[in-house]
Amino acid sequence: MPLAIETIELTKDYAVGFWRKRPRRALDHLSLQVETGEVFGFLGPNGAGKTTTLKLLMQLVFPTSGEARILGRPPGDLGAKRRLGYLPENPYFYDYLTAEELLAYFAGLLGLPPADRRRRVSALLDQVGLGNERKLQLRKFSKGMLQRVGIAQALLNEPDLVILDEPMSGLDPLGRRDVRKLILELRDRGCTVFFSSHVLSDAEALCSRVAILAKGRLVASGRLSDMLAFGVRGWELVVANMSDTLVAKYRPRLSRAEPLGGGRFSLELPIETPPEQLLTELTADGGQLVSLNPLRETLENFFVEHVGQRP
Amino acid sequence: MKTLGWIAINGFREAVRDKVMYSLVAFAVLLIVASYIVGELTAGQDVKITKDLGLSAIGIFGLFMAIFIGIGLVSKEVERRSIYSLLAKPIRRSDLVIGKYLGLVLTLVVNVAVMTAALYLVLAYLGTEESDLARQAREAPLLDPALLKAVGLMLVQLMVVTATALFFSTFSTPILSAVLTFLVYVAGFFSADLRNFDQVVDSRVVQALARGLYYMLPNLASFDVTAQVVHGLPITWRYMAVTTAYGLTYITILLVMSATIFSRRDFK
Amino acid sequence: MNGRSRGSLVLAVAAVILFGGLSIWLQAARDSMPLATSDNETLYVTERAAGRGVFTHRLLAADLYWIRAIQYFGSRSRVARVRQTDPFEPPPSLSLETPVSFDQLYSLLDISTTLDPRFNIAYRFGAIFLAAQYPEGPGRPDLAVALLKKALITSPEKWQYWHDIGFVYYWNRHEYRQASEAFQRGADLPGAPWWLRSLAATTLVRGGDRETSRLLWRQLAETAENEDARHAANIKLMQLDAIDQIERLQTVIDAVAARTKEPVTSWRVLLNAGALRAVPRDPTGEEYRLSSGRVTVSSQSSLFPLPVEPGSSPRP
Repeated sequence: MPLAIETIELTKDYAVGFWRKRPRRALDHLSLQVETGEVFGFLGPNGAGKTTTLKLLMQLVFPTSGEARILGRPPGDLGAKRRLGYLPENPYFYDYLTAEELLAYFAGLLGLPPADRRRRVSALLDQVGLGNERKLQLRKFSKGMLQRVGIAQALLNEPDLVILDEPMSGLDPLGRRDVRKLILELRDRGCTVFFSSHVLSDAEALCSRVAILAKGRLVASGRLSDMLAFGVRGWELVVANMSDTLVAKYRPRLSRAEPLGGGRFSLELPIETPPEQLLTELTADGGQLVSLNPLRETLENFFVEHVGQRP
Repeated sequence: MKTLGWIAINGFREAVRDKVMYSLVAFAVLLIVASYIVGELTAGQDVKITKDLGLSAIGIFGLFMAIFIGIGLVSKEVERRSIYSLLAKPIRRSDLVIGKYLGLVLTLVVNVAVMTAALYLVLAYLGTEESDLARQAREAPLLDPALLKAVGLMLVQLMVVTATALFFSTFSTPILSAVLTFLVYVAGFFSADLRNFDQVVDSRVVQALARGLYYMLPNLASFDVTAQVVHGLPITWRYMAVTTAYGLTYITILLVMSATIFSRRDFK
Repeated sequence: MNGRSRGSLVLAVAAVILFGGLSIWLQAARDSMPLATSDNETLYVTERAAGRGVFTHRLLAADLYWIRAIQYFGSRSRVARVRQTDPFEPPPSLSLETPVSFDQLYSLLDISTTLDPRFNIAYRFGAIFLAAQYPEGPGRPDLAVALLKKALITSPEKWQYWHDIGFVYYWNRHEYRQASEAFQRGADLPGAPWWLRSLAATTLVRGGDRETSRLLWRQLAETAENEDARHAANIKLMQLDAIDQIERLQTVIDAVAARTKEPVTSWRVLLNAGALRAVPRDPTGEEYRLSSGRVTVSSQSSLFPLPVEPGSSPRP
């Protein structure tokens, strides 16, 4: 199976300063593989080089050294562009056009025949929830609405690969939920989704693999599950009908105990202590179990650990 | 090819929906109609004045349009980042540049046609009022088709200015592009003087430089045949052909340079 | 072109060089085909003097200067004429320096015709303005001729300018030989009308004759290119008729005065004497005035003041 996206030692320096003496390295020898059909998260704090990477892939900027391949072709290849969709960060479109006109224009550039064009445009506008605003001029659109238009235009040609730069930005919770649903649908259809984000919960929910970028360098990459090492580091019990004295009795065996008010407590057990034993004793003492959850390594902890370490 | 068509039509649509554009055309038409009033002041020379004023108005307003839209063609897109989603589509960067240029040329042609029609209407109205005596004394016909020759060459000149604006906008900001284009326009008008430098200056080096500069800058004054047309003097088809060919050649150079620069630059 | 391939760059540079060469060749070809009016040596020099800052719109600028010239002339002329008839009540808006100056008139006309060297009417009317006697104009026939000679530099084929020069020499300078030579040169040009040659002959032989003057004005009236010119010529013809009438009236008055051995003080005297049936009126319908035994045209009449005839003393 060919790789959807591949970069080999991709590097980008920007000339800074009037006499171009000191180049700023925005991307430092990035080597990355994205397999066909997966949802890949490209993560990192702001300024890490995520947008630069995407621009290099879309040939909006040219690399200083290194190579990239999209759908097996070099960036900018017209055949590849026909099979991919791209959503830029904070998209801006021609404000004198209506949503419908913009999509029709892009559909024309994609070479879609007229009948297909109308159909696709209409269906996509409905799909992103802009069915009623199709004849409204884009200058009247809110940020969230523009984001939706952006998603629609990325999907016009039923692409095999979709590249999204901060797809959730500007959307309310409902909107974000819709986009998540959409991404999963795309994956189910066999489309490869590559998106960049600085919101980790999205990645956790959607991605099979991620790469983390910081200050232009790749800090970690691989399967999410591998990175989080399937590690369960403890248990969390939420119990009710407890008193302070009762909790004090069990305190030595807990790593943490927090009152939640009204007789409820959140107790954290270290991994060595099996929860069943403690639970039996608590129930005998009159306590009630509300919930029991394993505490996993979160992406956030992982992130802070690895990114925080960089000088 | 179809790509060029799409981009051009969209460029035209952008210009047509621009309020400033409308104001310019409306103002120009108003001015041409107003020339009728001015004509009353000139001891029976109202036809001459109307032609002078009309052609000048078309020239000036055409220039504003050419510079104003020309710089926005590319600079605006790059600044507003709408270029990102556009270039993600299967089009070549050079297609974008040339398509936009064609859209602007289309806009210019339509606007100039409207203004020219207004001029002919005013002239026709003047014709209903003038006496036989004045009609006999005129140097050129009232609804002179030769006016179209002047307008035609003016259009080629505007196309050169537009291409210049486009060229600057492929690598600089809108305001800087406007200033540079205007400077080139002014220089282009005085360029004929450069040719006569050898009569004024002694140094060989300076003469050679002046000559070189003369050939590099667009000789815009050569497109202006207003004086000939108003006085009914002949303009040969040969002159029209050579001058138009010159204009088109210059435009081609600018477009090639624009497309090259645009294809090789980073979009930060 | 898409991307940074070496091949496309080479191609682009080659194209620019190729088309660059083509553009230079085309420029040279076009430059060898000068248009009918521009690139005149004198034009270049005087244009610089006129201030090239108006590049392509110099025709329009010429029109503007022409309008200014007309208004300058018109307003000054009006003031001067009013002053002439009512010397004790100058208009409050002007200072008391006399005479009214027409200094800028020539400059305005010169600039206008430099900007548009084929500005026919600026030359012809301009010459009339310049040659007009005070108080109607500055009374500078020399400048009028200079302006017309300038017109001939650009358009040597136009006989009208020679005709106008002849006119100035005849009417304003009373130089009949010069006038005849000018008419002659005009008559020699192809397309000149037949009567120009007869004018040349007549002025040589009978310069100063009222009939000759009539002939000149009548020709002007018939060939005038616009209403204003024709109107002016008709006025002149009426003035000549008025001079005729005044001479006849003067004869009658002198005869009556001789008979009654008293100066004639008013028209009543003549009416009573039966010499006239009604108070005489000039060709525009205004009554003639009689004072101190001399007949003059009324100051209310549009024929006032009557022109100075070649070879006669100035009229009151």
